[in-house]
Amino acid sequence: MNGAGCGSCHSAPGVWPEGEVGPSLDSFAQQTLIAGRLPNRADILADYVRNAPKYVPQSGMPAMPLTEEEARDVAAYLYTLGRR
Amino acid sequence: MWPLISTRSAVGDALGGWPPPVLDPAGPYANPLATLSWVLFGGAGLVFLVVLAALWIALFGTAARKEKLGGTRAIWIGGVAFPVVVLSVLLVWGLSMTGSLTAPIRGDEMRVKVTGEMWWWRIAYLGADGGAVLHDANELHIPVGRPVVLELESADVIHNFWVPRLSGKLDMIPGRTNIMRIQADAPGVFGGQCAEYCGGPHALMGFVVVAHHSEDFARLMTARRANIRPPAPAHPDLARGAQLFGSAGCAACHRVAGTGANGAAGPDLSYVGSRQTLGAGILPNNRGTLMGWIGNSQAIKPGNRMPPYSMLSSDDLRALAVYLEAQR
Amino acid sequence: MNPEKGLDPAVYERLPRPGERPEGELDELNRIWAAPTGIAKLTAVNNNYVGVWYVATAFLFFILAGVLALAMRAQLALPLQGILPQETYNQFFTMHGTIMMFLFAVPIMEALGVLLLPQMLAARDLPFPRLSAYAFWAYFVGGLCFFASLFFGLAPNGGWFMYPPLTSTTYSPGINADFWLLGIGFIEISAIAGAIEIIVGVLRTRAPGMSLREMPIFAWGMLVFAGMIVIAFPAVILGTLLLELERALNWPFFDPTRGGDPALWQHLFWFFGHPEVYIIFLPASALVSMMLPALARTRLVGHNLIVLAFLATGFISFGVWSHHMFATGMPALSVGFFSAASMAVSVPAGIQVFSWIATFACGKPVFNTPTLFVIGGLVTFVIGGLTGVMVALVPFDWQVHDTHFIVAHLHYVLIGGAVFPLFAVFYYWMGMTSRRALSERMGKWIFWLMFLGMQVIFLPMHLTGLMGMPRRVYTYMPGRDFEITNMISTIGAFIFATGVLLFVIELARNFRFTVEDDAGNVYKGGTLEWLPTGLYSTRSIPLVRSRYPLWDDPNICKDVEEGRYFLPNAPTGHRETLITSPIRATPEYIQIMPGPSLWPFLSAIFTAGFFVIMTVQAYGVAVFSGVLAILCVLRWMWDTDRPVAVEHVDIGAGIALPTYVTGSRTHGWWAMIILLIVIGMIFLMAVFSYLYLYGIPPEFWIKPADRRWLFPIVALYALAALLAWLGRHVLTRKRVSTWAPSALLLWGMVAAAAAFVIDFVTWRTTRITGETSGQGAIVHALLALQGCLVAILALMGGFLAARTARALVTKPRNNTFDLITLFTLYLAGQGAASALLTRLVPGGL
Repeated sequence: MNGAGCGSCHSAPGVWPEGEVGPSLDSFAQQTLIAGRLPNRADILADYVRNAPKYVPQSGMPAMPLTEEEARDVAAYLYTLGRR
Repeated sequence: MWPLISTRSAVGDALGGWPPPVLDPAGPYANPLATLSWVLFGGAGLVFLVVLAALWIALFGTAARKEKLGGTRAIWIGGVAFPVVVLSVLLVWGLSMTGSLTAPIRGDEMRVKVTGEMWWWRIAYLGADGGAVLHDANELHIPVGRPVVLELESADVIHNFWVPRLSGKLDMIPGRTNIMRIQADAPGVFGGQCAEYCGGPHALMGFVVVAHHSEDFARLMTARRANIRPPAPAHPDLARGAQLFGSAGCAACHRVAGTGANGAAGPDLSYVGSRQTLGAGILPNNRGTLMGWIGNSQAIKPGNRMPPYSMLSSDDLRALAVYLEAQR
Repeated sequence: MNPEKGLDPAVYERLPRPGERPEGELDELNRIWAAPTGIAKLTAVNNNYVGVWYVATAFLFFILAGVLALAMRAQLALPLQGILPQETYNQFFTMHGTIMMFLFAVPIMEALGVLLLPQMLAARDLPFPRLSAYAFWAYFVGGLCFFASLFFGLAPNGGWFMYPPLTSTTYSPGINADFWLLGIGFIEISAIAGAIEIIVGVLRTRAPGMSLREMPIFAWGMLVFAGMIVIAFPAVILGTLLLELERALNWPFFDPTRGGDPALWQHLFWFFGHPEVYIIFLPASALVSMMLPALARTRLVGHNLIVLAFLATGFISFGVWSHHMFATGMPALSVGFFSAASMAVSVPAGIQVFSWIATFACGKPVFNTPTLFVIGGLVTFVIGGLTGVMVALVPFDWQVHDTHFIVAHLHYVLIGGAVFPLFAVFYYWMGMTSRRALSERMGKWIFWLMFLGMQVIFLPMHLTGLMGMPRRVYTYMPGRDFEITNMISTIGAFIFATGVLLFVIELARNFRFTVEDDAGNVYKGGTLEWLPTGLYSTRSIPLVRSRYPLWDDPNICKDVEEGRYFLPNAPTGHRETLITSPIRATPEYIQIMPGPSLWPFLSAIFTAGFFVIMTVQAYGVAVFSGVLAILCVLRWMWDTDRPVAVEHVDIGAGIALPTYVTGSRTHGWWAMIILLIVIGMIFLMAVFSYLYLYGIPPEFWIKPADRRWLFPIVALYALAALLAWLGRHVLTRKRVSTWAPSALLLWGMVAAAAAFVIDFVTWRTTRITGETSGQGAIVHALLALQGCLVAILALMGGFLAARTARALVTKPRNNTFDLITLFTLYLAGQGAASALLTRLVPGGL
């Protein structure tokens, strides 16, 4: 996430710089929906982080330069945030 | 709580610390410094071992050995004679190296003026008459194998230009111009950082030097000077982004060559799409980080001179990012 | 007798005296030297109290600054953390450096001087006890207020050397930088006061027979320390004054757009800043040389060489300051000179290290806690010295300047050269001020934690610097490989801190302050501070015959305590000590010492109050506090310089000494001369700044004020000097009225004031104001300096008039009169020089 610069819009533990343009991801694991629209499932999330506009065209989140494997790792990390 | 995430920054290698850039020189203004460093480390290590040995003998050695150390003779030899000899040799070497590193270059030299600002770098490539022929920011392009003279100045407080693999550092002091020389012997990307505390986000003031083969460099400069841009991939938001750049006020501070935008307060964005990093060496360059920066750069680099643009919608941000990506 | 001919050999036969001392003599001494009780203890001026308070306060600042460092290391353990956000970190690192350098390192050396020197010289106290009390309280109050700025987010954030233009109003608009500038102000006062005390103390209050040959090495170290303070501190005093003037009044000393230069600050600061680190190191190394003979159980090898090393270091260290500026673009010739000098300055340090090794070799050391700290310090300092030689080489410095390599270097030399010796000092001399000694077992744990912790913090830090991490960064990017070395350094920091914490616990467990029934000479030292003492210090002042009197004369403790040496009583009924000659320590006169006094305490509170309240810009209240400070100082001075009923006393062995002397041999005269040297150095730095700013493109310089006014100005200053000298001469005449001498001196003051007014007014009528340009700024700064002196002179004039009215100006010579005359003469000289400089240089315009 640091390599791709996700922190320029989002805040998440261990990710810099805790941007405020997008929503905070600190408790992402507890979120029911991704971007308020999509079911929060691992396969959807992994594809979403690579290409958000495909799912939410007007999203402020653009496509991010992650390989498929990197996207899966990012999703895995996001699911550790705020886990009950 | 924080796992040590292994990162892959686009310029992680260039700005990385391993191998230590001071000991991994890439040009003739850094090679002698690395050699000197190794000699100094080796010599210092040796001297330290000798002193430790003397101390050991003094504390635990045989009576005969102790007696040798116990008089003023040992003090004269160890404390005066030996240091004076070694230091004199080192001094002569150091001074001659200083002289050769600061010797003027013969022949026509490439000159670039780099001005330190809080907290970014203004770059102006100079022509033969000393006037600026090309403007840029935060990323310096140089040809391989040719010395480049940098005229270092400051627009506000004292900064310091340091790209360890290519040269030692030099202050940028307001009111004067300091001359520095760098040269890369092979193509590559070299990271640098401001090395004089300039307040606020001094820690986040990095930059990048890119060395090209001479032909590639010549081609790049010619194209840029003639404002010939690589064709931008078609995108529905491109025109809208261009229009927003003016209406949202970006042009008040930023310049984009070939357009009406001519602001001088902030970094020149003519080639921002092709830069290795954003924000002066701190963010990877992609659409997301562009949008994040424009949306709220204060959250990223607190205190920097660009205000947050929280009034822009996601569509606006995306349009601007698309437009800036196309400035290559 | 000519003092420097030495003592009459017969004296050596007569002492120690046989026979018992009279009854009640000891009780009388106790009564005279008794400490005040209850809240009045704050008015004590005895070095036994002031010294301990001073050391304790400096140690407190060490802990406080150390906590800041711990927080910084926690922040840097991992990349991009938020433990200390950007602004907080910037304040923390500035405060850590400032507190360590200004509020801990120099004051603790002074404090140890206050505490130990009189004992080592067998003097009853320092020559100016109220001055050290004042210096301490100003430091205590001012230092704590300065630290408190952190809690309001107002701590300075420009780095401990506060370079402009970052610290000018444009880029530092808040009062944070003012806190630093005005806060450092009172530290400077304490340092100068301490320096005056120490020089006069070391040179004039030694026990009889303690010639320079027998003088303990710590006294030599402190003498050079104090001399360096006198020469170096004025540079930072002037620099801080100029920066404050720039911030408050917009006078462009450092603003290149109006003829100033940021590098001027760097020159001024580092002319002070480099000697500063030797000011810290020399006393510490002198203390090591004091402890080592006892710890190694043999006399110090190379004593004379070490003294030479002190002098050489003191001298050479003034020639290296621009090695902090190698990366500013100075011409190659300058850079070469400073590089050479920086390498040369390591030679005296090497002499000391090898002398210590030689002493160890000659002796049979015991590996107790002080020995461990001494050895640990030696090893650490050598590493620091080696990296120091590396950075003295310009090309290498061009890579590592302003990186963590330098941070590693400076901590190696400071911790190795000052902190570890200090902990050895605490263990070694604890027996002098505490009922219980510190535990040896705990001490070894503390040493190893601190020593190993220190190496773990700073050894990898060299690599961090080589890897490209600059100084003063609140974070670093991930993926740049800085994580590992930073994490190791942070772990080391916590190890080190554990050691310090254990030491603090150890202090709480075992340190019980006392003057009378202390734990004693635990490590069996051979020098005079180990004589049995009370509040009156030693019962009688011994005749010194060697460097290690307690080793060479096993009876000396008993003899001293039974009063068999000099001055076993108090013949004048006041507190007394012996003033002796500087080279051979031949007794010259008795100094009457002050007892507890409220006025230094109050003066210090109001002085600190003035500076701190000024910083928060409550100007009215600040002025009020300043006025109170002046009144308290005047009231304090009123008690000084009183003739004594008993004119001559017999100190023993057939030597009779006067109780009141005047002239150039008095301790007061010497103190005033040293103070005038300090003021003169401030002026010299201002002259340097003037010439430096002139060297900047001269288009900023315009025609100075009319040269013709030089005639009346210089003439009036000359008249002032003449009248002052005349007044002093007239005082010696028999048939003169009470007022005549004083009137002459007062008229001299009026002449000087008139000269200043003309100088000032004729500059005001030109087009140049302080704000106009670098020229305007420095001219007005020179005028401001002179104006300060004139204001002080006015106060002295009023004081003199009051003294004369009360018939306190004794004939044929009077100390107060002499000192005011000296000041007036100096003022006239500086005023004339200042006027000549600003109007004649540059000539052509």
